Amino acid sequence: MFKTVLIAALLALGSSALAQDAQEIVAAADRVRNPGEPFRTTITFTEYVGGVERDHDTLVVFSKQDPATRQFRNLVQYAEPARDAGKSVLLDGQSLWFFDPASKSSVRISAQQRLVGQAAIGDVLTVNMAVDYAATLLGTETIQDAGRQPRPCWHLDLVHANDQAVYNRIELWVEQGTFHPIKGKFYSDSGRVLKSIYYRNFQEQLGSVRPVEAVIIDAVDTSLATAVSYKDWRAQEIPDNWFQRDYLPRLQIK
Amino acid sequence: MSTILKVAFRNILRNRRRSFMTGSAVAAGVTAMLLFGGFANYIFTSLETRSVQQTGHLTVFRSGYFLFGAGNAAAYGIDGYRSLVEAIRLDRELGPMINVVTPTQSLLGIAGNFADGNDASKTFLGIGVIASDRDRMRQWDEFKTGLITPPDPRFSDKEESHGLVGLGLARILLLCRPLALNCPAPPEQVARKSAGPVNADIADLAGREAGGVAAKADGLPQIDLLAATAGGAPNVVNLTVAGADPQGVKELDDNYVEMPLGLAQQLVYGRAEHKVTGIVLQLNRSEDMPAARARLAQLFKERGADLEVRDFSELNPFYGQVRGMFSAIFLFISLVMGMIVLFAVVNTMTMNVMERTSEIGTIRAMGVKRGGIRWQFIAEGALIGAIGASAGTVFAILVAALVNHGGLSWVPPGNANPVPLSVYVANRPGLILRAWTILVAVSVVAALLPANRAARLSVVDALRHV
Amino acid sequence: MPPVVRLTHVEKTYKAEAIEVAALRGIDLEISPNRFSMLIGASGSGKTTLLNLIGCIDTPTRGTVEVAGQQIGTLSDDALAEFRARNIGFIFQNFSLVPVLSAYENVEYPLLLVGMPAAERRDRTLAMLEAVGLAKQAKQRPNELSGGQRQRVAIARALVKGPQIVLADEPTANLDSATGAAIIDLMRRVQAESNTTFIFATHDPHLMSHADQIVTIRDGMLIDPTPGAAA
Repeated sequence: MFKTVLIAALLALGSSALAQDAQEIVAAADRVRNPGEPFRTTITFTEYVGGVERDHDTLVVFSKQDPATRQFRNLVQYAEPARDAGKSVLLDGQSLWFFDPASKSSVRISAQQRLVGQAAIGDVLTVNMAVDYAATLLGTETIQDAGRQPRPCWHLDLVHANDQAVYNRIELWVEQGTFHPIKGKFYSDSGRVLKSIYYRNFQEQLGSVRPVEAVIIDAVDTSLATAVSYKDWRAQEIPDNWFQRDYLPRLQIK
Repeated sequence: MSTILKVAFRNILRNRRRSFMTGSAVAAGVTAMLLFGGFANYIFTSLETRSVQQTGHLTVFRSGYFLFGAGNAAAYGIDGYRSLVEAIRLDRELGPMINVVTPTQSLLGIAGNFADGNDASKTFLGIGVIASDRDRMRQWDEFKTGLITPPDPRFSDKEESHGLVGLGLARILLLCRPLALNCPAPPEQVARKSAGPVNADIADLAGREAGGVAAKADGLPQIDLLAATAGGAPNVVNLTVAGADPQGVKELDDNYVEMPLGLAQQLVYGRAEHKVTGIVLQLNRSEDMPAARARLAQLFKERGADLEVRDFSELNPFYGQVRGMFSAIFLFISLVMGMIVLFAVVNTMTMNVMERTSEIGTIRAMGVKRGGIRWQFIAEGALIGAIGASAGTVFAILVAALVNHGGLSWVPPGNANPVPLSVYVANRPGLILRAWTILVAVSVVAALLPANRAARLSVVDALRHV
Repeated sequence: MPPVVRLTHVEKTYKAEAIEVAALRGIDLEISPNRFSMLIGASGSGKTTLLNLIGCIDTPTRGTVEVAGQQIGTLSDDALAEFRARNIGFIFQNFSLVPVLSAYENVEYPLLLVGMPAAERRDRTLAMLEAVGLAKQAKQRPNELSGGQRQRVAIARALVKGPQIVLADEPTANLDSATGAAIIDLMRRVQAESNTTFIFATHDPHLMSHADQIVTIRDGMLIDPTPGAAA
């Protein structure tokens, strides 16, 4: 909190000669997206094909940052629709485990299976930019946000910093002053854009202004888009043993 | 000996019709065996030629890849493959044996056609190859079958992102019209786009991000290939589809993508070190395979490399299965023909013995031993067999020549296109010798029973016989 | 001179479907060498059986048969055949020439069996054909010859190797009297040259008039069991 104020003050001095720490900008943007404390939230995915709504899922997410690795561990259970209710997913760093209450078995989702579908969307949402990527500040640029409002942004180039980084490169626009992430473009190893994300609808949640909505556009299958909305944010202490594959069968969300 | 043969020969001529019928049975047996055997030989040679053209003689893999690597090609890349290829090429023993040595990369992923409002995607099985090496491999023809294909102008080293797909895959990805292919139209699309109002915001955002890869000037369609890299990250490359070819086997036809090696490596390895899953060796002569294999094993041991070698029959179990099937049929035909010849000769010789009973008595009385009588009739059976078999051989060679020059063609199973039909008889002396010898041997065996009976006749009884 | 054929207490019994037929019931016979001996008997008398035993193409049920000093009961089948090839000539009732061989080849046949060299074979065969008056028909097959010509070939064949014994069953049956006489002369000549013993079964009175010894057989036993008396 204090750091945010300091940087804002420096900005207010209008001193462009002062080098902005690109990595700190990214870290601040990450904090806008994710609370630092363990929390739960309810997410609704809405799938659009050619702009027409096709499908939606509602799920509850428990998220906690591992202080040692600084990776976020996410435990997800599907609430709607009825056909998916009760299914759970555990994202622990890089491994993705899926549990189906009907068969009572948990399977690991391979990288091949995460190329398309909700697992791919999940990868975009849970990207840990400050930890897994090395940022360079390219400059400043005013871009249109999700609602076509102009926003002056820092234009950052993020390159993968370790082998866990899912994307080879990310282009990120962060609003100057507020550190709100406005837009991101995620690049594959081959240099092509895989997905683009627009963050929108910033509201006060759990002690900070956060985007409660995001729109992810598939850059390969350009007719696909997914709108994500978060609600019912709650700080919640989550025991560590929940984030284990063996716990999945016992997970019961109220 | 010469008397026995002279007498045997004259005795054969004694009853022309009977001898002709028996000899014809032997001739028919030999003809059947040779024509089928010649056809089988042609099949084996063509199949081997095709296999060696497409997959070379031997392929080097990381140990375990052949049995466990199918779902996880990225984990079985060969380290330092370039120096290994050079080492193989320059090796004093292997070098002279080799026609082509080339690296390949296998991969699987999802292919998608999302251009021009299309919305088709399909899992694919891909192979990345060096086009010029592949063209050279297609020219291999140790057995002079004539089944060579000229270099493919659509897929060459020059175009780094041009590739070919199976006809089924092209059909599923809706590439038929752009490629000017003759495909049946897809059925009424189950509406992927649900009927409903368009969300303006979403449509607007999507529109702002559209406009990905520019269309190329040559008018060829492009598809996206998605795959997970060796490190587990999603990756996508663009492939320009230069053509679609039927693959002969539907499962392959619906999944096949052939692309330049560099493109495949870019997709599979991404930011990591580029490797390959296989190194293909095509030798000049098939018979060098065991020697090459042994030398490779030595080479691996020297380099401390954890590699294994598989040959084309292991990579194409179809090859072994076809050989097995034809061999079984050949055996069956041989058995049936052998039976026929056996019965015919036994029958004929038995009749001969019966008719010549008093004659046998006469010469036995004159001092011919039992063995002499036996040999006389064995010689007769053998002679009928030999003459019939030789006639059958000549006939088979003539028929084969007619077929080979008759311009017949057929579509072998697993092939997409018709090939000329041939029967390899005249150039397969081994086959001729085998068929000839087998049926002559059967004739001899068939003559044994009547010959023994003739030999064991009591002189007195034989003389009394009318 | 020791007899060339000696039979001692010879019996021959056949089994025909569990019925035993005694063809010879105790024969004692001696035949001197260099003779024309004739065997006379009706059909069914055992005449053919006796000839078969003397000709070494059959063995006795009891008793011993000694031919040219050889006990033939002790010989193996192959040895017996060899013995026949060297020592015995046959002239059969139904000619039994080998149909696929020419007259020359038929006559030559016994000489092949004793392994005579080619030049000598040729000389003897041609001489014998000449002797029976068939030199011109040498290349013809039996089916191209008349009955009498075939008979003469058979005779030539039996005599060509100058055997110790010649057995003949009605040798002059199909020959006219002139030819028959010529044949008898030929046989006498061969006998003089090779010390051949001729044993005939015959009804030909002309032939019988040349007999040095006559043996009569009836119901398996000899009627005049006197050993061949010197002529």
